Order: sequence, then structure tokens, then C-alpha cells
Amino acid sequence: MQHSPIEAPIVDLEGVGLTLTSRAGPVEILRDVTFKVPRGQSVALVGPSGSGKTSLLMIVAGLERATRGSVRVVGEPFDRLDEDGLALVRGREIGIVFQSFHLVPTMTALENVALPLEFAGDANAFATARALLDEVGLGSRLDHFPPQLSGGEQQRVALARALSRRPGLLLADEPTGNLDGRTGKQVVDLLFGLHRRHGSTLLLITHDDTLARHCERIVRMADGRIVADEANVPVAGPLTGVAAQ
Amino acid sequence: MTARSLVSANDGIGFASVLRIALRELRGGIRGFYIFIACVALGVMVITTVTALSDALTHGLERQGQMILGGDATLARTHAGASETERQWLGARGRVSETATMRTMARSLDGEEQALVELKAVDIAYPLVGAVKLAGSSSLASAIASDNNERRAAVDPVMLERLGIKAGERFRLGEIEVVAAAAISDEPDGLSDRMTFGPRVLVSLPTLEATGLLKPGALVRWRYSLLLDAAQTAADAQASKDRANVASFADAVKRDLPEAGFTVLDKRDPSPRVRKTLERLQQFLTLLGLTALLVGGVGVANAVETFVDRRRKVIATMKSLGAPARVVFQIFFVQVAVMAAIGVAIGLALGQIVPWLLHARFAHVLPFPAELSLSPWSFANGAIYGLMVAALFTLWPLGLAERISPAELFRDEVVEHRGWPRRNLMLLTAAIALALAAMVILSSDSHRIAAWFVAGLVVIFGAFMGLGQLVTWLARRAPRSRWPELAIAVGNIGAPGGLTRSVVLSLGAGLSLLVAVALTDSSLVNEMTTRLPERSPNYFVLDIPKGEFDAVTATVRKSAPQATIDSAPMLRGRLVKLGDRAVETIKAPPEAEWVLRGDRGLSYSAGVPVGSEVVAGSWWDADHAGEPLVSFEAELAKQLGVGIGDTVTVNVLGRNITARISNLRTVNWESLAINFVLVFSPNTLAGAPHNLLATVTLPDTTTIADEAGVARALGKAYPTITVIRVKDAIEQFGSVLEKIMAAVRVAGSVTLAAGALVLAGALATAQRRRILEAVILKALGATRRRILTAHLLEYALIGGATALLAILFGSAAAWVALENVMDVRFSFSAGAVALALSLAVGLVLLFGGLGTWQVLRARPVPYLRSQ
Repeated sequence: MQHSPIEAPIVDLEGVGLTLTSRAGPVEILRDVTFKVPRGQSVALVGPSGSGKTSLLMIVAGLERATRGSVRVVGEPFDRLDEDGLALVRGREIGIVFQSFHLVPTMTALENVALPLEFAGDANAFATARALLDEVGLGSRLDHFPPQLSGGEQQRVALARALSRRPGLLLADEPTGNLDGRTGKQVVDLLFGLHRRHGSTLLLITHDDTLARHCERIVRMADGRIVADEANVPVAGPLTGVAAQ
Repeated sequence: MTARSLVSANDGIGFASVLRIALRELRGGIRGFYIFIACVALGVMVITTVTALSDALTHGLERQGQMILGGDATLARTHAGASETERQWLGARGRVSETATMRTMARSLDGEEQALVELKAVDIAYPLVGAVKLAGSSSLASAIASDNNERRAAVDPVMLERLGIKAGERFRLGEIEVVAAAAISDEPDGLSDRMTFGPRVLVSLPTLEATGLLKPGALVRWRYSLLLDAAQTAADAQASKDRANVASFADAVKRDLPEAGFTVLDKRDPSPRVRKTLERLQQFLTLLGLTALLVGGVGVANAVETFVDRRRKVIATMKSLGAPARVVFQIFFVQVAVMAAIGVAIGLALGQIVPWLLHARFAHVLPFPAELSLSPWSFANGAIYGLMVAALFTLWPLGLAERISPAELFRDEVVEHRGWPRRNLMLLTAAIALALAAMVILSSDSHRIAAWFVAGLVVIFGAFMGLGQLVTWLARRAPRSRWPELAIAVGNIGAPGGLTRSVVLSLGAGLSLLVAVALTDSSLVNEMTTRLPERSPNYFVLDIPKGEFDAVTATVRKSAPQATIDSAPMLRGRLVKLGDRAVETIKAPPEAEWVLRGDRGLSYSAGVPVGSEVVAGSWWDADHAGEPLVSFEAELAKQLGVGIGDTVTVNVLGRNITARISNLRTVNWESLAINFVLVFSPNTLAGAPHNLLATVTLPDTTTIADEAGVARALGKAYPTITVIRVKDAIEQFGSVLEKIMAAVRVAGSVTLAAGALVLAGALATAQRRRILEAVILKALGATRRRILTAHLLEYALIGGATALLAILFGSAAAWVALENVMDVRFSFSAGAVALALSLAVGLVLLFGGLGTWQVLRARPVPYLRSQ
């Protein structure tokens, strides 16, 4: 079913619940979450640990299935897609940046970035990947393996990889969580710069209020529920004063 | 406290403290060590089982010596029975039983059916020990009783079946009719007779006499069993006295009957042939067990590496707290030693249980009872090998553990850890490897074969280690494929810490072994089913009296005018001396030992026999009348250390004959033409009574019915000659070979089982990394099919590379064994190659596939969160 790209939200969650089974019994992670994100918006998901932020992000990414409610992301009804269908949607429309980078350790920076393009059968995978790595300032580290890169560099590779197929939706889970302050700020500048340039929707999890204030909307979660959802006027300019190259 | 005193305090840590810390460290349980323990246990179990079984069989053989031999001692000779003087000499020493055995034909009364049988004629005293068991309640005496009206025999039921008659019916033996009076179910001294080709027929000596088979020159083996008087009376006395008595009897034979030419055996070693076979079997199976243990060693090393890797932070913490490298090494060595001890203990326990299980299942097929007991030697053997191999494979990774820097605590990045252990540990590892090799070689009967085996193992391990590096190196440098699945597969193969090395090393040795066995097997089968029958005669005809040869030829030609008939004089005798050396004192290489043991076929010829080629010296003149001369087979002469000009003494018909070697000749044994190791000049043996041996070769177009017709015609016309169908003999040998090869294959599979364990361990270790990788790929949009394809490609590539090298090594090993040791032409078999490829790829796909299944089932979120 096609939706008008102007009217339909890119993320459309309706009454979503998530219950996981633990040894101690069922645990309700998300309770009746209704959450919509229009295309192009930047949204910060904030809240204490265990509030359900990451679970919500994983449901939006199609990496976790909701127990209740309906999930429609990039126009696709996730509850009707099987695992491989979800993977194909992700590959086409969704870029993810993890706190722990999650690069494939057996592949170079260039190969990591090219991989989603290769999955898509893109003949120019490596040229595109090279350009993206240039864009994040790693043009000279193309052939380095992840263990040979610093944390900040690894996260920049992850960022380039997430954007390689120009996804409509960019998800970032604490992208600066494993980085020191300065490196973290550089990565955030890069993230927002790329978000703006590529025109993608950004859904960002963070503990950092300063970072959250860079987004157009701040959604607060607690105990598996959305407890506040407010518009924000983003702080202008780079955090570090150093714009992405 | 100063820095100096801290160092000295740590330096002074006692073993008790090390032990305490080590055991405390083990609180986490032995998870991660299961494969380590299983690898050690499997190898130790095989070695212990082999030693325990072999001990049981050897003890059984020794303890049952008297029963197997049918007395305290036996004297045996072909052609001539004991002379009156010899009988008196024997009679003076105890109770004697006389038996005569020969190969002959049993025929149905109408002559239409005939069967090769092992005829044994016994006297009234037989058996001196034990009893012949017959079906029903009849006694041996009545079953073989004879008078002029009726001759009776006890027979193996197989003979009845072959002749198509029932118990109580008559059949022909030589020139007379005999009643098959009873069926034999057990013969106490069956093992002491030569390798048997046909079913047993037991008759009395007078019956044998009446058959007309005892013509001069007939191939009859006379055997005299003795229950020594002194031994009898000493039954209650100490066993050592008894043994001394037996030994003095053997000396007395040598002293009093120096030229009698008897082969003397006594109950201390009732069957040197069986004992030797057992020894060889034990050595061979121990080598296989050791191979399994060494392959398992790879799993041991992998486990220790993983263990050390998981403890890096702990080690770094210990060092940051002031633990010197030596103490770190000791702590982890103790932990690994505890695991090795558990593995060894499990292996030893299983190694004592398995022989009982095998015995319970297979005892009935043994020719004598095995005496199972808790065998201390098997415990020691298994434990020593197990601990040495464990040490060999753990010292290196532990040596790297002590080098871990405390600075790692401050580093988050994952870096590849490379380095060398300290020099002493490397030297110790090398010393253990050398000691292990020395143990294997020195404990083996044939040092040369064991040394080759060890060298082969070193080469194979080195080569597969090299292959692992090569495949990884190639994968790293290979241009990236446009096909992402292949790119991922190749990336994984080239990755540091990937599966390549483990897979290649774990499966390489086992597969090479199986390929070698399969190719040896197929080459032997090919030799026997295709090449041998192509070139070999149809029949061997034994015991043709010299005077009847022309008539026999005429009979054959009447049935088959195109038949080719070759003949040679045939006597049996025993090698007594080579030069001045008595054969008992000669230490011959195993492949030449058979020449010195027991009776040999001897012949004489005026010219060079067909199928032989003189390679040194010259053949004698046809009418040579001077010093007795002999031609020796060249290869065996070399192995026994004799050459042209040396003398050879043989005992024929109780007389020593010495001849000088005038030439050496090569013999094409595979042609199955008439060939002998020793061929004398005619003047040496022509005077001795003997018969002829002939081969009958029929044209290729001969039908089976016509072939059978020749044998029938011969049987009817000449009841005393023996006709052996070559195809039957080959088939019989083939069925024995099949059993041996099946056993070898089972034994070889143990190595592959060890490899599979190592493989499972390596895959389990890599599993977490692989799941994480798959989860990332899924997050990037890879479908399950894509991940599955990438994994399968990876497994197929590594498995394929391993199989190819295994095929190469297996073929080389089989080629060496066949062409150099067995003298059989190597023939390549696509089946063997398919076996190796399918086993390698199949095993990797099976274990890897199980892992991949888990990978694909894994929920991504916990992995993505926890990192």
C-alpha cells in the first residue's frame, strides 16, 4: 500500500507494547506507545536507563518485534513482514548507528561502508563508499581494519555506512556513548551535518540534554511510556565549532 | 614497603599460594574446557584400549600356550615323519602325539563336486591337551575310527555344504571313500596349524595311509606334540621351574637332533606368528591413537588460547598487582594441568571399560580366549602419552599468557597479540616433541617404519599449518568479489582468529589418513579383482608325482586343448643358516622375517625360471655338477644381508644341504606364476623325493563351466593331486583383506573423530563473534539466505582446500606404501577423492551449519545492546 510521502509519517507506531520473558517472569518493556515522526524531522529520544528508549528504536529498526500494536515505518507494515522482508526494508530505507559502532571486524573501513551498497547490487559501491569516507574525514584510512581505528574513527565509519544508501530514516543509539567528550562532539556535528545535507529523518537516543537540544523534537520516556513529547528549536551551529569536512 | 621488597615478596610466592590462586580462579567452572578434556580423553582412551586389549590377548596367548600348542612343545617338519630314532628320543621325554596335516581335495562320490580341504590325521593320543568338540555326543575316537570296511572322518560342516552331502554320508578322500561321521565344532590346537584355506577334515593316521595321499614328496606336515614328563610332574611346582624345563627341552632338541630340521615351538610362545601379528597390530593402533591424540592437541591448544584470551584482563590485573610473569605462568599452568588430568583420568577409565565391551561383543571370533584384567601398563602408556601431548600443546599458549602486559588494562582497542614465549618454554616444548617421537620410535618393533610415521606426521602437521596460513594469506589478498556473499566468506577466511587454521589442522591429518586407507584399499582390490586374475593362471595343481606329469597334462588338454601348463619341482624345507649365522640369531627386518620362519617352498631349475630376471651373478650351466648352487631373490637377499658367494643352508627331509649363492634374481610375484625365493641347481635337490607343482592357464574365452570341467576331470583321474582354483584363493584372501581394511578404516576414523571434536570446539569458540557479525549484517539489511550462503561458501572453501591437500598427502602415503612396501601398483580412485571431499566439506558444513542455524535464530537485540 502506497502512502503519500508528504502526508504519511515515516515512523508510525500505534499502541505499541513490548513484553519480554525473563527468568523472573514477563517484563513489560513498552506500554501502549503511540509515536509518529514526519519525514525530515530530527527527534531526540531521552529518558533514564531502562525506560525503553533502545527497545523503541529497535522496533522502529525492525530488529525487535512489537508484542502489541501496529508498526508502520517508511510506509511498510512491519507486523506483516517476515525477518527477511524487514532486512530488505532496512537495507533500502533505514541507516543505524550504534553506541558500540558494530563494524564488521574482518572488513576494512571501505568494505564496511560499501557492504550495504553491495547488498543492493550497486556497481559503484566502492566509489560511493570512498566518497562517503572522504565526507567523514577518513579518506586516508580506507584500508584500515576496525581494530586499527580509534573509537571516534570507528563511529565515523559507522556513520558513513549508515548513510551509504541515503536512507530516509537514520537511527542513532547513543552514538557518542563510547566516545570521549571532544570526539563525541565531532561525531555529533557530523551526524547533524549529514542529516541536514541528506535530508533524512533522524531518530536519536541520548542521555545528553545538550545533544538532545540539537533536535527539532524531544520525546521523553519513562517506564516504557512516552511521558513528554515537545517541539524544540534546535541549537544552531556546530557543537565543537568544527564542521564536518 | 619499597618497590624492591614488593618484588622480592612476589618472587617468594610458594607453590601452595600458586595452587590456591589457581584453584580459586577455577571457581568459574570448567566451561570452555569441555573440548580440551574430550580431546585428551579420546586419544588417551584409544591408546589405553589398544594397550589393554593387546595385553589381554598376549596374556591369553601365553596362558593358553599349552592348549594352543596341544602340549608343552611341538616339533614339526614337512615331507618326512620322525624316524625311529627320533621317535625314541621323543618318547623318552614324555607323552607324544603325532599328527600329519596336508592340503587335499575332498570329492563327492560321483566326482561332480570337490572342495579343497585341510586334512589332519591324528593318532590315538591326540589331543594331549583339551578336547576336540563334535556336534552331538560322539567322541573323537569313534568319529574317526577305521577298519578295513569303513573309514570315518570328523569334518567341518562347511565341507558337507560344499560337497552337498549330509553327516553320515560318504565322500572321497584320495583313493578311498570315507564316511563324514561327525561335525567338528571346536579343535583345541587349530591355531598351531598353518594358515588354513579350506575346511578341516579329521581322520586317523591309518586312514591317511589308506588314502594313498602319502606318496614320497607329498606336502605333508608332520607334527609331534609333547607333554614333557618333568613338566607333568611339576604341574604343582613353581611355574618358573616348568618354564626352565621347557627351555631345556628346546636346547636338547638343538643338541641331540641338530640336523633333524624340525621347527620347534614351546608353550612359552605357542604361536610366534600370532604373537608378532598382535605386536604389530598394537604398534599400528597405538600410532593411530597417537595421531588422534595429536589432532586433539590442536583442540587443546585452541582451548588454552581461548582461555588465555578470556583471562587477558585478569592476567593484566594480576601483573598490575605485582605478580611476576613466572607466577602468572604457574597459576595458569596449574589450571590447565588440572584439566589435562581430568581428561587423562576419563580416557584411562574409558580405556579400561571399552576392552570389556569389545570383548563381550567380539570374544566369540577370537581363536583363543583373551585374559582381560586391569592392565597397569596400559594405564601408564595412556597417561604418559596423554600428559606429554597435553604439555606439548599447552606450554606455548601459556608462555604467551605470561607475556601479557598490564598496560592492556588501559587499552580498549582490540589488537592482535603476536609474540613468542620465553626461550626456556620453547626449548621445553621442543624437548617434549623429541621425547614423544623417541618414545614412539623406540617402543616400536620396526624403528624405521615408526620413524617414517613420525616424519610423516611432522610433515602433515607442518603442511596443514602452512596451508592454513596460505589460505588466510590468499584470502586477505584476494580481490574483493562483486558478489557480497563471496566477499563476506573470503573476508572471514582471511580474518585474524578466523576458523581457517583450526579447520585445516583439525581435519587435515584424519582425512589424509582416510584417503591413504581408501586408496590403498582400492588399489589392492583393483590388483586382486582386475590385474591379478588377468595375468594369473586358473589353477595351481599340487602334488603331481613326477612320473604322472605327462598324463596329467594330457588330461588337462583333453578338456581344454588351448591350456598352458607350467610346472616346477616343489619341496618344502626350512632355512637353517645364512653363511655361518643360524637363522634364530638373525634380526631380520619385518618385511623379510617370513623367509626365516617355518617351511619354505624350494625348487630347482636348469634354466632361469619364467617371470624371473637375473640381476647379479650368473645362472649355472644346465648340466652343472659341481658345488651345490642357489639363486636368491634379490630384494630379500638385500634385506637379509646376504649376497653372491655366501652360503645358504636348508634342511630338507631331515638333512641339511648347503649351497652357495651364485646369482640374485628379481621375481614378479604378482604374476602368480610359479616362483620361489630359493631356486637350486638341479644337482642339489633332484635326488630328494618330491612332486611337481603346476599351473594351468586357460584361454580368456573359457567359460566357468569349462574351467570347472578341467578340475573335475583332474580330480576324477588323479584322486591324490590337489587342485586350487586361483580365483577362489584370491577371493578368500580378498575377504580377509576386506575385514582388515574395514578395521583399519574404523581405527582411522578415530583420528577424524578427534578432528571433528577440535572443529566443534573451534566453531563454538567463534560462535559469539559470528553471531555478532550476522546480527550486524542483518541490521545492514542482509537476509538470512544471504548470511547462510556466505557461511556455506566459507565452509565449502576451507573444507575444499583441506580435502585437496588431504587427497595429495593421502595419495602420496598410499603410493609409498603400495609401491615401496607392498609392491602393488598404485591406482587412483575417484571414489577415494569423493570420500575425502565429501567428508571434509560435509563435516565442516554439518558443524558449521549447526552453528549457522543458531546464528540465524539469534535475536539481534541482546547482541547489539550488550556491546
